[in-house]
Amino acid sequence: MGKNLSILKNGLIDENPTFRQLLGMCPTLAVTTSAVNGLGMGLTTTIVLMCSNIAIAGLRKVIPDKVRIPAFIVIIASFVTIMGMLLEAYLPTLNQSLGIYIPLIVVNCIILGRAEAFAASNSVIPSMFDGLGMGLGFTMSLTILGMVREILGAGSIFGLSLFGASFEPVLLMILPPGAFLTLGLGIGVINKMTARNALKNANKED
Amino acid sequence: MDGVVNILLILVSGIFVQNFIFSRFLGICPFLGVSKQIETAVGMGVAVTFVMVLASAITYVVQYVVLVPLNLEYLQTIAFILVIAALVQLVEMVIKKTSPTLYQALGVYLPLITTNCAVLGVALLNMQNNYNFVETLFNGLAGALGFTLAIVLFAGVRERLELSDIPESLKGSPIALISAGLMAIAFLGFSGML
Amino acid sequence: MKNKEKTTINWADTFKTAIILFLIAAIAALLLAFTNYITSPVIAKQTEQTNTAARQAVLSDAETFEPVEDLDAIAQKALGEDASIVEEAYVGLKGGQVVGYAIKTTPSGYGGDIELLTGIASDGTTTGIAILSQEETPGLGARSTETAFQEQYKGLNASEEISVVKNQEASGNQIVAITGATITSKAVTRGVNVANKVFQALQAEGE
Repeated sequence: MGKNLSILKNGLIDENPTFRQLLGMCPTLAVTTSAVNGLGMGLTTTIVLMCSNIAIAGLRKVIPDKVRIPAFIVIIASFVTIMGMLLEAYLPTLNQSLGIYIPLIVVNCIILGRAEAFAASNSVIPSMFDGLGMGLGFTMSLTILGMVREILGAGSIFGLSLFGASFEPVLLMILPPGAFLTLGLGIGVINKMTARNALKNANKED
Repeated sequence: MDGVVNILLILVSGIFVQNFIFSRFLGICPFLGVSKQIETAVGMGVAVTFVMVLASAITYVVQYVVLVPLNLEYLQTIAFILVIAALVQLVEMVIKKTSPTLYQALGVYLPLITTNCAVLGVALLNMQNNYNFVETLFNGLAGALGFTLAIVLFAGVRERLELSDIPESLKGSPIALISAGLMAIAFLGFSGML
Repeated sequence: MKNKEKTTINWADTFKTAIILFLIAAIAALLLAFTNYITSPVIAKQTEQTNTAARQAVLSDAETFEPVEDLDAIAQKALGEDASIVEEAYVGLKGGQVVGYAIKTTPSGYGGDIELLTGIASDGTTTGIAILSQEETPGLGARSTETAFQEQYKGLNASEEISVVKNQEASGNQIVAITGATITSKAVTRGVNVANKVFQALQAEGE
């Protein structure tokens, strides 16, 4: 169990897909105009990621190496389409907000990346945890980015107005440039914190 | 005459007003990954343009000749991505034979064009906007040109950044993203054009 | 003389690969077809519910709605080019009497088509508008879904064309554009204007 938990933590923090690996950038920048959109996209991607990791890990001994990429793509695309149909039927508002980025989950480098890097050579249960970890890491990043952009750009959080009518939001934040700036500064901040920690640890060991 | 105006609108929109990178966020991974040098950026831009225009054409045919008549629209995502994957394999083989230097320069980024959201994205957008065949081709071209413009401009900026004094924690991707953000602000100015 | 290596095709391997790929694709297709079978009636019902609710919202006096037959023919005749953005029209009835119409148009906005529903009472007054779907910029064009913007169209008459003004008070058949979203504002206005023309055409036909 310990091994699986460390796989989970890996995806959440050490190798966080957004802030560390810089994967899945397109949806990260595009749908984080509000916290709820970030959360919704993150959870949808997590489900697809888990399902595809499980399926690919389960089939890894059966899929011939030469055709593994097309096979992975068919599997991933199927899960994405199923999620899309389920969203359209049962969560139509979220479906509308995420729009074209739902089918684009197919080309989210995180999913194909984890399939290649992990699920193709690990068994089903660890692969499931890897999918869960990476997915939750992605969700966490998206939700945080979404919250920052929504608070600054619309004065609300998850739709709840924070500052009242007289607050003039920084509109730029929910427009495209805001996405780049928020992510860039976010990574910068995390780099700074990691560097400070490494320095502290190095000093401790002296 | 109306058709020509439409095409011009599509071109201006895809390249400037709704630039695929700075406005639609399609194609960010290669944008951040391949933009360190102007030459590689241009090569990537050319390859992507080729794939995007061809992909637009082929997916259009697949949609209207196979998916719609057979009521299989829900297979759109799968069908489109498979077409794109096959197309990229083909382009890879062609480039390998015709220009081994370009093949070397693009390296691992060539097969990654398959996962470039811009390619699948433009195919989906074409269908969403109900474009006819000619409009589809030009939208593919417009998106690709916008992508190329963005990536080449960005490479120019990044080449300069290499030589600048940047705080340690901002080095690498943070400063790249912030610069991209500033460029996105510039492109916002185009929105008044239409 | 180049010494070409003879590449023998291992038929057994290729066959096995093909079968496996085919199986994966077949299972995927089955799963998708099954999910589609379950979800498409749900989606269809939901779309119908949203549409009916929207019609009710823009034409509150009506109790039932019935689609207008031959809408395409009427629109083509009366509107020419504008007919391309006319989607559907419903007659609103109360106790068997016509109280107005709910007309759906799809003008082209900044980010794509805007699905617009306009409610027009029998006397030509706009009773309300609703935006069913849009892809405009959040914070700018997307504000067209706000009540404050949409209220402007209520009470305007179908006989006069509505025009858009910027940064000034509106008077008569004018509405004020959203700051920074002129294209969206003009698109919505065009949608309402076309709906008004459809209304006039329908009245002329005695529908």
